[in-house]
Amino acid sequence: MARDPFAETPRARFALHPANLIVVSAIALTLLGLSVLFSASASMRQDPYFYLHKQVIGVVLAGVLCFVTSRLNLDYARRYAWWIGGVFAGLLLLVLVPHLGIAVNGSRRWLGYGSARLQVSEFAKVGFVFCLAHYLAVNQTRIHELKRGFLYPMGLVVAFAGLIAKEPDLGTSALVVAVGMLMLFLAGVPWRYILTALLFVILAFGLVVYLIPNRLHRLLAFLDVEGNKQGGTYQLYQGLLGFAAGGVNGAGLGQGRQQLNFLPEAQTDYIFAVIGEELGLWFTLGVVALFATIFIAGLLHLRRAPNLFQFLLVAGSLLLICLQAIINLGVVTGVFPTKGMSLPFISAGLSNLLLMGLLLGVILNSQRTWGRATLPAGTRTLREVVA
Amino acid sequence: MSKGFTSSPRIALLAGAILLSFAGLAVRLVSLHVLDRDVLMKFVVKARRQIIVDNAKRGDIFDAQGRLLATSRTQVVLGVDPQVLRPEDETKWPELARLLGLPLPELRAILTTKTRKVEPRPLAVAGPAAIVLALGANPQEAVRPPAAALAKPEGPLVFNFKPAVPGDEAAVPAAEGGEADDTVLDESADANGYRLIQWAKLSDHVDEATNDKITALGIKGVYGARVFRRAYPHDGLAAHVIGYVNKGGEPATGMEAYADFYLRGRNGWREGERDGRGRELAQFRSREVPRADGYNVKLSLDSNVQSIIEDELAAIVAKYQPLKATIVVSDPRTGFILGLANYPSYNLSDYGKADLAAQRNIAVTDVYDPGSVFKIVAASGALEEHLVTPTSPTFDCSIDRIEYKGLVRRLPREDHDFQRLDVAEIIAHSSNRGAAQLAMALGDQKFYDYARAFGFGQQTGFPLGGEVGGWLKAPKDWDSMSITRMPMGQSVSVTVMQMHQAMGVIASGGLLLRPQIIREISDPSGEIIDHYERPAVVRRVISERTAQTMAQLLMGVASPEGTAPEAAIPNFQVAGKTGTTQKLVDGKYSDRHHVASFVGFFPASRPEIAISVIVDDADAHAPGGVAYGAKIAAPAFKHIGEQLIQYRDIKPVYEPGRSLLVTEGGRR
Repeated sequence: MARDPFAETPRARFALHPANLIVVSAIALTLLGLSVLFSASASMRQDPYFYLHKQVIGVVLAGVLCFVTSRLNLDYARRYAWWIGGVFAGLLLLVLVPHLGIAVNGSRRWLGYGSARLQVSEFAKVGFVFCLAHYLAVNQTRIHELKRGFLYPMGLVVAFAGLIAKEPDLGTSALVVAVGMLMLFLAGVPWRYILTALLFVILAFGLVVYLIPNRLHRLLAFLDVEGNKQGGTYQLYQGLLGFAAGGVNGAGLGQGRQQLNFLPEAQTDYIFAVIGEELGLWFTLGVVALFATIFIAGLLHLRRAPNLFQFLLVAGSLLLICLQAIINLGVVTGVFPTKGMSLPFISAGLSNLLLMGLLLGVILNSQRTWGRATLPAGTRTLREVVA
Repeated sequence: MSKGFTSSPRIALLAGAILLSFAGLAVRLVSLHVLDRDVLMKFVVKARRQIIVDNAKRGDIFDAQGRLLATSRTQVVLGVDPQVLRPEDETKWPELARLLGLPLPELRAILTTKTRKVEPRPLAVAGPAAIVLALGANPQEAVRPPAAALAKPEGPLVFNFKPAVPGDEAAVPAAEGGEADDTVLDESADANGYRLIQWAKLSDHVDEATNDKITALGIKGVYGARVFRRAYPHDGLAAHVIGYVNKGGEPATGMEAYADFYLRGRNGWREGERDGRGRELAQFRSREVPRADGYNVKLSLDSNVQSIIEDELAAIVAKYQPLKATIVVSDPRTGFILGLANYPSYNLSDYGKADLAAQRNIAVTDVYDPGSVFKIVAASGALEEHLVTPTSPTFDCSIDRIEYKGLVRRLPREDHDFQRLDVAEIIAHSSNRGAAQLAMALGDQKFYDYARAFGFGQQTGFPLGGEVGGWLKAPKDWDSMSITRMPMGQSVSVTVMQMHQAMGVIASGGLLLRPQIIREISDPSGEIIDHYERPAVVRRVISERTAQTMAQLLMGVASPEGTAPEAAIPNFQVAGKTGTTQKLVDGKYSDRHHVASFVGFFPASRPEIAISVIVDDADAHAPGGVAYGAKIAAPAFKHIGEQLIQYRDIKPVYEPGRSLLVTEGGRR
């Protein structure tokens, strides 16, 4: 049994514990987000504080959500794993109902009333990870079986991804597929299944592209940003210009111009370009470094996971954060096809913040429970074998 | 507790992949921020930088009384952003159409056209299309979209000079190059190559009041920009003096062209940045040069005098239907022009419809044979040289031949039979033979010198309208007839302005004065920059005494015994000279085409007003078929004179029983 270096040195646990690193990084990103958001949105509305107010409220709510989630007994919640999954699937269905779901720009993604609305798919992602982690943990001894080890969990993945794709929100849908498959991969699903699935995903992607040619153009327009700058990649093009305008040192906070009607949605998906222009290379590298820190700390943290469920749950949450960050950063810097996806902790938007609060809560929750390292006895007959 | 599931190579693989992604992003960031920066910055600068020109207001032109003759008014170039129109505003469209004077269907067409097709450009990179082909999709579908990458000329152009609206670019998004009209299109296009129209012009000449009403309608998306437009409140009044500024903002003729240096002003400009919608970002303004409005020019021209002579001119035109006609009024003491009217003329507010002939200031551009008015040259010369006095000697005007310099010269015909006439009678009766003998008394060179001294054969220096110098032959070019014909105003060509100026020599006491028209130049705040009060003396031509004598002699013309009693104004000493010139038709002097003129001034002994009336080819409608200066021009002189006496409050000169003529008479 490996010695847990953190468990016996209180000072280290306090300061250098991976979970603490994650929290510190998340707070740093959030604060950076708030300041840049203020600058990015100051010119956009009559009220320059419009987005800042909303974002601060979001941060507070997310903090509360994080705290509450971190206090929940998630192992107890596993009893209701399928209920949770069912509820989220139901909500995703509800979004699709024309008069219930709120459509913006042709996509029906929101539930809510008035300006208070939430993007259901954001939270469905957490439910999905919870369910999948639960399932895989329960079935870990039969993980090599085709049905139980692969087809059933893939069914779960496809169900969620399909519902989200229907909104349509292909970006989130792809994220769900990616995180789902990675969880399967981590849970030990045989390589042959994984590779087969990958092949299927590529074929499905090709099919979608075949059916909707315009989407392909949109997808590939990033290859020729300049040639297409009038059309599909205008936003991306303006984003790239933002980085160039910032240079190494940046134009200075509040001195950015790209958000002044050059860059649409500067406060949400393309906020990283604003960071690039206003704060320059060191800060954009810093953002990448902070996300990398979250990921590395997450990995270190995972080493102490008491069981496969906890492991997969935290790994899934971590992947949700990091993959989303990578996709957003990749899109904004023009290395990935244009896809609407917010930058975790930084982009404006209540759903994004609450999701991050939730994921952070899950991670912190594990930290709290892992210290005890025991499951409440007798509450459940665990089929997982702790080797 | 084993951590078997956490230490598998799988997680290492995943970790490696993700960390590699982060590293890749870092590399990409370095490339964007640092390596590709120069290339990208070109586009940034192109998109952001702009120079906004702040148009200077052109100065006003005032008449002598401070009445506006030409000014710059703001007008609104009104347009619409069809993208932001609200359906609930549709009920206001008919009212908008009424205010704009546009037919409703036409307005509706502009308001509802939201996109414009733009010509697609081939894909810059064949990649996507090739892939689509490989997948079997419809290649048309794939090739079309990037259309938007369009028509905008690419180049090193950094500044966005083109104004949104011709003349101004303050309020309206900047137009992009390459568009034929003023319509402003969005940067990006949809998949089919349609670009959104962001601004379409509704009208380019909405006045402020109408604009206020339209604004009050509150139709979202209808807005405009203010521009300066030249306005001529009196339309055609003094058209040839004022001139106009053409559509391109360039002064074309008249005072607008001559005083352009003062009127123009200097446009200001601001160099700075604009946001994505083309709006100026004041906080990033880098350089700013304020505009300097043009100076105001005040003329000596009096619009009341001008309208008096234009009315008179209109009456002459209506009555006699001449080819051309000109009336010039000036103050002979200073040479300042008080009024100048030509027929044909044109409307400054509608100059586009005027043909070029009507735009010419014929008072200075066209020449005519001055006829008998020119006799003042020979008479003045002979008096100045003390060769004659008004009453002695007398010249035999019944003879038709006379020997001069060894040759027998034929003298011109007379209209009446005269016997012996003295200088006073030669002038009063306008004897051709007498004038010829006066010139002979002077001799070729002296006569020519006096004609030159009176300003003939050279430009008067009147600043407006492309003046010509007329035509006066030097003695070496004379033929045997010249000495007999030139004194009576044949074989010389003069402009109306020259003749007016020459008569001014007598009125001003012997000085040739350059005709002036600008009184004052003031800056926009009203401070006077420059002013002109003094007469511009070109030279002394004759002595003051000779001038006074000539004035007395010229009074005889308007006397009951003179050629033009029609010019006489009761109680006022009117001095003047008639002219009835045969026009050259096919190389011969015609009996049926004349230029009728009367050039004079009053009061003769203390001149305040000089008036020239020249009517070209009024014969067809003249009584008796011949347009005599006395019949056509002299009554107009009198009519104008009477009105000016009232308007300018000119007092008659008290005459103490004896005339100067009598006292002078006996001595020489």
